[in-house]
Amino acid sequence: MSEDMGLIVKSTARATIPLIGIFGAYIVSHGHLTPGGGFQGGATIAGAGVLFLIAFGLSEAKKRYDHHVYSALESLGGLTFLGIAMLGLSVAFFYNVLWRKGIAFAGKPGTLLSAGYLPIMNLAVGLKVFAGLISAIIAIASYRRWNE
Amino acid sequence: MKKALGALALLFILGILLIVANPNYGLKFGLSGKDWQTYRYTDQYYIEHGIEEVGGTNIVTDIVFDYRGYDTIGEATVLFTAIAGAVALLRPRRRDVNE
Repeated sequence: MSEDMGLIVKSTARATIPLIGIFGAYIVSHGHLTPGGGFQGGATIAGAGVLFLIAFGLSEAKKRYDHHVYSALESLGGLTFLGIAMLGLSVAFFYNVLWRKGIAFAGKPGTLLSAGYLPIMNLAVGLKVFAGLISAIIAIASYRRWNE
Repeated sequence: MKKALGALALLFILGILLIVANPNYGLKFGLSGKDWQTYRYTDQYYIEHGIEEVGGTNIVTDIVFDYRGYDTIGEATVLFTAIAGAVALLRPRRRDVNE
């Protein structure tokens, strides 16, 4: 029994995986303007990974999955989140100093480069959720205890 | 008969809960009068001050990342712990590999 699904599913997956990824990136980057945010966008991008895993099979997915890279990505996301939260530590933890002092990302509300640390935090959380969910899916798929 | 009585009792309890939970004439703890309503029901505050204080037009993101940032840290930690637990549970034991 072959691991991957048929030609139709694989062709459809080839066409839709980039679109799902772009949509997830849009949700993450516009998290402070439109409904959505880091968690939701990261889960959407991880959904593209799940589609890849289902359509092309585990061995193909394992070739493209490097444990160390995803571990580093998740750590990077979490540390960025904490570091950005500590930026305004002179006033309080989670003080939005970039917006209130107008240092960076301080455009008009409603534009992409506004809302202080919110876009950076959305990116960090999206990266963390994406890497974590992909790691969990690969772990669940590859460490199964039954044989075909 | 018993079922109808039970349903009626449930409705009665639900009605009492609705009256108790109503902000206008319900049970109040702590501060009294208008203060209580301002401090207990903060949603209007977020809607009015969210854009100028945090800057995002998506109020949910304002709340999640600024007003309630600790909650988001907890969520990220829970996600990490869940994945670490899943990998630790599912990983093949050394004995199984050697066989």
